[in-house]
Amino acid sequence: MVYKIVKSVHRDFIETLFLTLLILLIGFLIGFYVESYRTNQISKSYKEFEVGALDLRLQNYYFQIMKESSCEKAIEQNFVFADRIYDEGLLLERYEQSNELSEDILLEKKKYVLLKTELWLNSILLKEKCGNPFHTVVYVYSQTGNALKESEQDAISNILRKLKEERGNDIILIPIAGNIGIDIVDLQLNSYNVTYLPSIIIDEKQVLEGFHELDEIKSYLVDDNKKNSGVIRLN
Amino acid sequence: MNSLVVIYAIMFFFGIYFLLIFVVLYFRNKEKMDDYPKATRFPRVSILVPAYNEEKSISGTINALLELDYPKDKKEIIVINDGSKDNTSGIIREFMKKHKEIILLDKKNSGKADSLNQAIKIAKGDFIAVVDADSYPTKDVLKKMIGYFENDEKVAAVTSKVWVKNKNNFLERFQDVDYCVIAWSRKILDFIGAVYVTNGPFSVYRKSLVKEVGGFDPKNMTEDIEITWNLLSRGYKTKMSYSAKVYTIVPEKVKVWTNQRVRWNVGGLQTLYKYRRFFLTHGENLFGRFVMSYVSLSFLLALFGLLLSLRFIYLAISPYLFSLPYFFQGYNPFLFMDFYFAFTILFIWGALFFGLSILFHKLALQNTEVKRKNILTIVIYIFVYRPLYMVPFVKSFYRLIRGDIKWYTK
Repeated sequence: MVYKIVKSVHRDFIETLFLTLLILLIGFLIGFYVESYRTNQISKSYKEFEVGALDLRLQNYYFQIMKESSCEKAIEQNFVFADRIYDEGLLLERYEQSNELSEDILLEKKKYVLLKTELWLNSILLKEKCGNPFHTVVYVYSQTGNALKESEQDAISNILRKLKEERGNDIILIPIAGNIGIDIVDLQLNSYNVTYLPSIIIDEKQVLEGFHELDEIKSYLVDDNKKNSGVIRLN
Repeated sequence: MNSLVVIYAIMFFFGIYFLLIFVVLYFRNKEKMDDYPKATRFPRVSILVPAYNEEKSISGTINALLELDYPKDKKEIIVINDGSKDNTSGIIREFMKKHKEIILLDKKNSGKADSLNQAIKIAKGDFIAVVDADSYPTKDVLKKMIGYFENDEKVAAVTSKVWVKNKNNFLERFQDVDYCVIAWSRKILDFIGAVYVTNGPFSVYRKSLVKEVGGFDPKNMTEDIEITWNLLSRGYKTKMSYSAKVYTIVPEKVKVWTNQRVRWNVGGLQTLYKYRRFFLTHGENLFGRFVMSYVSLSFLLALFGLLLSLRFIYLAISPYLFSLPYFFQGYNPFLFMDFYFAFTILFIWGALFFGLSILFHKLALQNTEVKRKNILTIVIYIFVYRPLYMVPFVKSFYRLIRGDIKWYTK
């Protein structure tokens, strides 16, 4: 009698075990499908960024070779690319924060940082060529850090987002992870003597370490050069 | 995968497994839920009512016991006045003038378990029914329980279904849900011979076996859990009659509720520790293999659940907390509040677990007296009432660490 009951209970336990594994498997498959889809979408975005970055690079060559002085077109393309890379960047950050399992997205990040660095370099070239028609605000943040550091970075990130909303195409905002192990980024940071992360580099002249108020950041965005050039505004 | 993901995955596995056990067993046995063996003879039963400062409720309890549908000459009611400072003793003496079946045992305060042990010494019945002095058994409760003992000498205890009498405020109403879920899940465990608690409001024991195992443990905070584990560990059976219904008064204030849960937790952990040697051992029943692991894992899951919840809360508030220095520099973090959910595998497992929890609670609440059995009630129960358990849970560990173990209910 006891044997029969125990045997029947064992059957219940084993069947429940299979049912549990089945439910977990279904969840895993759905989750895997969704994450794969998302990773593919992100990879696709990166590829499009790469094409966009290559296009920008070739445009620079074009303007240099053809001696064409149409800065307006070049700057416009630069802004379109910058805005896209920034918006997609925010989405990527969210994916990265919420992603517990897949590290594929993180592996793409270095490529993304390279693209942003290329955008920065391209912006420097454009400013030199076209007489500083816009400002570059490069936000260099730390990829690693404690909660205190993350809060500081969140605060700066939000302040800069507000700045971008206010100033529109007057500035190009480029957030770059500063300690991700990419030589060109390290070279750039060394050349501007950036020793603390997070920092904000304004027009390759001012380096603001840590959090600064919005009004203070705005005060560094002086328009002297623009007045001198007096040519292009894309607002 | 990081270690946190592994912890989540393990938690989901056991969480889903335990929920499914109940659901599967329910669907296999749902026709038998209300069945109980009909008694053909009525043995003498001594009803023990330990009481400490119960002047407000004891009259109702005694009246309910006097009205029990059971041969009058086969029952005796022994009220153990455990050193009450109120008029509990006086009330019982008044009852005794009219009802000869009532016996009063006046003694110094020594706790519930010791009170019961002393009463067992003078009890004449072959069976003892233990009744809390703030509980109100329905008339047929004893008849629906005593039959379990008739054809199986191994049955040592039978417990009843406890529902809530007072359902006025939020806390009481959700304790009502709580008690219904507990009663339902306990009946499910009955189908696999794993009833691991015989409740305080109304449970019947075979006196000879209670004596054999040494009676109730006065050192344990939850003598009802301890005696059940003691009996199970020796291969005896414990049963539950889902038709036998008893109402009880539940705490109306958070403080009293917390103290009661602290006692349950501390008692549960004490019992778990005392019987640790039976963990995963084979026996005549599922005590070692299922009950021990189920209760241990319940505590572990609660502990990890607590830690992960605290982590979640920390992650949610820390950006605002650590942004305070910038707040004084003109930055308002609350303007940038942003919520985002991504469909990761863990999220989907969580959603499946939640769906299963809804089904579990929906099944548990059917055929109960809970007024609103809709999904909203269940969601509030899961996300508002159950998280309150964190308070007594933390307090229990704190008191255990301090070695502060005493009766907290009153």
